[in-house]
Amino acid sequence: MNQRGWLDTLAGELRRRGVDPELTAHVVSEAASHLRDSGEPPLAVFGPPGTYAAAVADSLGTAGTAAPDRVRQPASSRPGPPGPVRLDVRGISKRYRRRPVLTDVNLTVRAGEIAAVVGANGSGKSTFLRICAGLLSPDAGQVRVYGTLGYCPQAGGTSDFLYPEEHFALVGAGRGLSRSQSRTAGRDQAASLDWDPSGRTQARHLSGGTRQKLNLVMAGLGEPDVLLLDEPYQGFDRGTYLDFWQQLWRWRSAGKAIVVVTHLLNQLDRVDTVLELTPARETTS
Amino acid sequence: MDQERRAQWLRGVLDLCVLALLRHRESYGYELAQSLNAAGVGPIQGGTLYPVLLRLQRTGLVAAQWREGAAGPARKYYRITPVGIETLHRTAVDWDAFTSGVGVILREVQTR
Amino acid sequence: MIKIWTVAEFALREILRRRGVLLIMLLLPLAFYLSRRGDHLGQSIRFVCLGIGWALSTAALFAGSAARGIEPRLRLSGYRPHHLHLGRLLALWTVGVALSVPYFLLVRFDQDNVRYDAIALIMVLTVATAAPFGLALSAVLPRELEGTLVLLIVVGLQMVMDPADSAARLLPFWFSREIGTYAIDHTDGGYLTRGLTHGLVAAVVLTALVAVAATIRLRRRPHLRFVSAR
Repeated sequence: MNQRGWLDTLAGELRRRGVDPELTAHVVSEAASHLRDSGEPPLAVFGPPGTYAAAVADSLGTAGTAAPDRVRQPASSRPGPPGPVRLDVRGISKRYRRRPVLTDVNLTVRAGEIAAVVGANGSGKSTFLRICAGLLSPDAGQVRVYGTLGYCPQAGGTSDFLYPEEHFALVGAGRGLSRSQSRTAGRDQAASLDWDPSGRTQARHLSGGTRQKLNLVMAGLGEPDVLLLDEPYQGFDRGTYLDFWQQLWRWRSAGKAIVVVTHLLNQLDRVDTVLELTPARETTS
Repeated sequence: MDQERRAQWLRGVLDLCVLALLRHRESYGYELAQSLNAAGVGPIQGGTLYPVLLRLQRTGLVAAQWREGAAGPARKYYRITPVGIETLHRTAVDWDAFTSGVGVILREVQTR
Repeated sequence: MIKIWTVAEFALREILRRRGVLLIMLLLPLAFYLSRRGDHLGQSIRFVCLGIGWALSTAALFAGSAARGIEPRLRLSGYRPHHLHLGRLLALWTVGVALSVPYFLLVRFDQDNVRYDAIALIMVLTVATAAPFGLALSAVLPRELEGTLVLLIVVGLQMVMDPADSAARLLPFWFSREIGTYAIDHTDGGYLTRGLTHGLVAAVVLTALVAVAATIRLRRRPHLRFVSAR
């Protein structure tokens, strides 16, 4: 890695760890001036950018995280008084042929809350989310959404031959945004996922992780009140995965109600509600 | 000397050494690293030094300022604060007591 | 209205970026035309019109299948079903018109003694019918391969069936043969009237079918209720 690349990566890693932009700039310039003086390669002096960023964040105490695999939850977004109910799911049951997938599932998510839906493969996590989004009918039960809905599928949901920013314009127009509003909103959200969407690359040529970033940005366009995210981080590298959770905390601070399907249990102490779905069993009833 | 062990020792006293070096005049990261090296405590890498400086700055023991050097680009200069001086004096006494204890024990090993 | 135009614009961009499909679409009617140009001039006109119909319905089929992934989420983003299917139809009709113009000019300057205005009418009706035909197929058959096979069968039948057979009238492009006879063989106006009626009915029925399919597929399901938050 050359010096420029190392410094850029460092800046990204610091930002990712929630170090404020001004301080990030100072840390990066200081490292640059040290490298200029010593003439040594950055890896020898500071080690890998991620490790150094972690050490810096750690030394700043409140703003950092000691173990980089843990996602930091900003102090400012700790649960205050509960917000109004945004998503109310009552008594959802669904069976495929004879096999019950969901049996009397309930979930209430308030503004400013994150609900995690967990369960083994085949336990009906995606089915549940699709029912919440109204893409699938349940056999029983009902869903109430107080406000507007954004949905990010596990895969698909993009248009192969369109550029990322055209997706923003398309979704934005549905939400009543102008072209430039859609583009600005899309770019802002993409930047928080460390992604520059301005290229002329058709969606079918994007890598799996980048296409999921596109999917995620599309779901958040137009500030929906409820966000349903079906394992949207597939194909994300670790850094982007951290960015993704940061984005969730931001959405939560902004008062959105979020439902996220996850099978990674190490995040569960950072969410407000956990809905565990158990794999379906053949029943005689 | 065993690098691993030296690094361990250094972790305990690096902040003290930095405070001590800043006692008489302000300095910047690279110069501090060189001074530590020259004193035989180093080599100390940037990856270890700057987080310590940041922590000292956060706890108010040093103050920092970006300034143009006499020659060359802007650098971040660190200066010890009155609180830093007080901490340095107090801790230097503690350190002295500690190392003399360690010294007594280790001297027995050497002379045997 | 803005939403329909937006869908139309991006659907059009999508189609224009499918270079391969576009090229085949452009060349297929030409191949049809040239195949009978040597021995039977009139037949070559009938073939070129069928070729346009086939090419455009295939393009519509692909466009319809490709849209299946994104349409549900566009629906959630504030579009109504008619925004989506009308926008896509508008885009396909535009492509169809652009495709027909060079072939009309080809017939205009390559052939004598035919009723050009009737040829233009065939092309307009063909475009009007083929776009919803392909979209309707994509709504019924989720996989492109199945849809393509059905299209192949329909166009094959259209070529071999006796137009006088009343079952032939069930084929979507039957009007093309009928008006074609009027235009090339200078028959009486009955052919024109029958063809025009059939073409209009075919276009309206297929467009309605697309609308119904989209409305059902993208319907708001009764278990989900939106309550205003503000």
